[in-house]
Amino acid sequence: MKYRLCSIVAVWGVAMSLHAQDTDLHAYADERLVAAPDDASWTRGGFGKARYGDGKTHFHFGGGAVLAAAQITPELLALGQVQYQTSGHSGFSVLEAWLRYRPVSTTPWRWSLRAGVLFAPVSMENDGIGWTSPWTLSSSAINSWTGEELRALGSEFLLERRGEVNTWELRASLFRRDDLAGTLLATRGWAIGDLIAGIGSRLREPDAEVSADGDRLPGYYDLFRSIGRAHWGDYVAIGWRAPGDTRVSLMHYDNRADPSASAFYAGGDREYAWRTRFWSAGARTDIAAVTWIAQVMDGDTRSGLTVDQFLRTRYRAAFVLAGWNLGAWRPALRIEHFSTRTSSDDPDWRQAEHGNAVTAALNWRPRDYLRLTAEVLHIDSTATLRAEYGLPAHQVDTQVQLSMRVLY
Amino acid sequence: MRRWVSRLPCLLLCGAAMAVHAGTLTVTAIDSHGLPVGDAVVTIDRANPLAAANTHYIDQKGETFIPYVEVMHPGDSVVFRNSDHTRHHVYSFSPIGAFQFILSPGESSAPVVLDRSGIIAVGCNIHDHMIAYLVVTADQAQLTTGQGQARFDGLPAGRYTVKLWHPQLAPGRPPMSATVDVPAEGAAPALPIALRLLPDPRSVVDREHLDY
Repeated sequence: MKYRLCSIVAVWGVAMSLHAQDTDLHAYADERLVAAPDDASWTRGGFGKARYGDGKTHFHFGGGAVLAAAQITPELLALGQVQYQTSGHSGFSVLEAWLRYRPVSTTPWRWSLRAGVLFAPVSMENDGIGWTSPWTLSSSAINSWTGEELRALGSEFLLERRGEVNTWELRASLFRRDDLAGTLLATRGWAIGDLIAGIGSRLREPDAEVSADGDRLPGYYDLFRSIGRAHWGDYVAIGWRAPGDTRVSLMHYDNRADPSASAFYAGGDREYAWRTRFWSAGARTDIAAVTWIAQVMDGDTRSGLTVDQFLRTRYRAAFVLAGWNLGAWRPALRIEHFSTRTSSDDPDWRQAEHGNAVTAALNWRPRDYLRLTAEVLHIDSTATLRAEYGLPAHQVDTQVQLSMRVLY
Repeated sequence: MRRWVSRLPCLLLCGAAMAVHAGTLTVTAIDSHGLPVGDAVVTIDRANPLAAANTHYIDQKGETFIPYVEVMHPGDSVVFRNSDHTRHHVYSFSPIGAFQFILSPGESSAPVVLDRSGIIAVGCNIHDHMIAYLVVTADQAQLTTGQGQARFDGLPAGRYTVKLWHPQLAPGRPPMSATVDVPAEGAAPALPIALRLLPDPRSVVDREHLDY
């Protein structure tokens, strides 16, 4: 508790002292009361799909982050975000860090180039400090996974064609070190939470799976690393924007990892690369006082976990969110569906899951620096993997959170 | 006596309230909630009386252009002033007035003379949420106030075509238009018609909606 308080005070101190011309500093810290579902959370080595899961009601540190941005020249922007988490793998990690070169254009065409550690442009929910969502505490399944395993260490080129009626965008990125993206979807399945991973984070695999492989518990794996021969992954996205903050986006991602490549981790465990590809589409618009967001994702990930056999996990998810903009009050409701299906030559590796979730949140911003949120997350899912380890295949998890978030 | 003639269907969906007094035309713009709409540009089909060219000033405070909308006439010039504590990179890619200025705190741009009629969107290449509009017209034009009213005084009696434009109307459509007879004397009650506006694009800096 003392360390946590010192960390928050230190973050605030840095934020205050660095506030200067052409420099922006923002930060948040979140403390929450959580009534957790009984199903042990995946962050604790279980199969639970919520962030918390021990059947108890406790206060938890929800997370904290600092964002710094410096306009070095009129064309050059530097931005970085560092977070501190105590769930899962505790500690500091870098969420994103990039330089953007964007020269002014006096024609409808404008281009820019970003290089560094980038979030893949999947989410239409998460545009707050620390990649948080202004609508709910827990991100959708799609964006929970995006925040957990997708990060581009490379560059992204953006070309815009700006017009009076609409603007078209084309993004193209080359990146490295995302060869483990897909691991969680194959070994754990989808989850719904707000535990974002950064450079320096580690993610936990289900204890039952780790034990079955004869590895030591708890089983963490490092993120954002290259496995096998050097190669580039890529994503391409086309976007359309119209006045009124209406946006539509279509994206294809392929990390181009070699699914037969593997590497040894410290401790002697072998980690395999996952060839992960997906299509993602999203749209958002404001109709009267309601913001509508919808996203869908369809992809697969493939790895060679045995010498002569491959695993292929097909994953799909979709959600619709409605958020009401009522001044200081901001209610939101999200419904979603998710599924995975793992095929393999070996019947023992074949798995499937499907589920639905409803998230209802009521946000209140009585002050610019303060956000209070009450959220109920209800997940109804069925997973064959759970039955394999003697647990009920069908599980209903309900998580209630009351959060106080301080913003700078 | 007053007569309205709708010239475009959109006026039936969204429009303005007009009250005519002797030699005076008052246009009142309201939104769909009945609240007054400022920053709407109302023009009438009478040439602006010849006058010396004016210089208009667009300030930048709190990462916001002030004013949001400025009415100008061909030959007028505009100066951008930076009253913020941060740099701005003011630009426009409009075909009738392309320009760009890097402005340090406290600095002002050179005057930009605008000779052609049209609407010029102005942005900041550093802060994408900053936007302003310069409306250049040879006609007589007024901007609605915070009370939603634009008033033309001293008009000769006759039939006028009135046009109304606002930056948050659906883009790509012609401005709303109507004809009105300005009588020699007399007045009539206002006719309130709502404008359907898109959300204000000038989002303020918010940690929950970062704009990088």
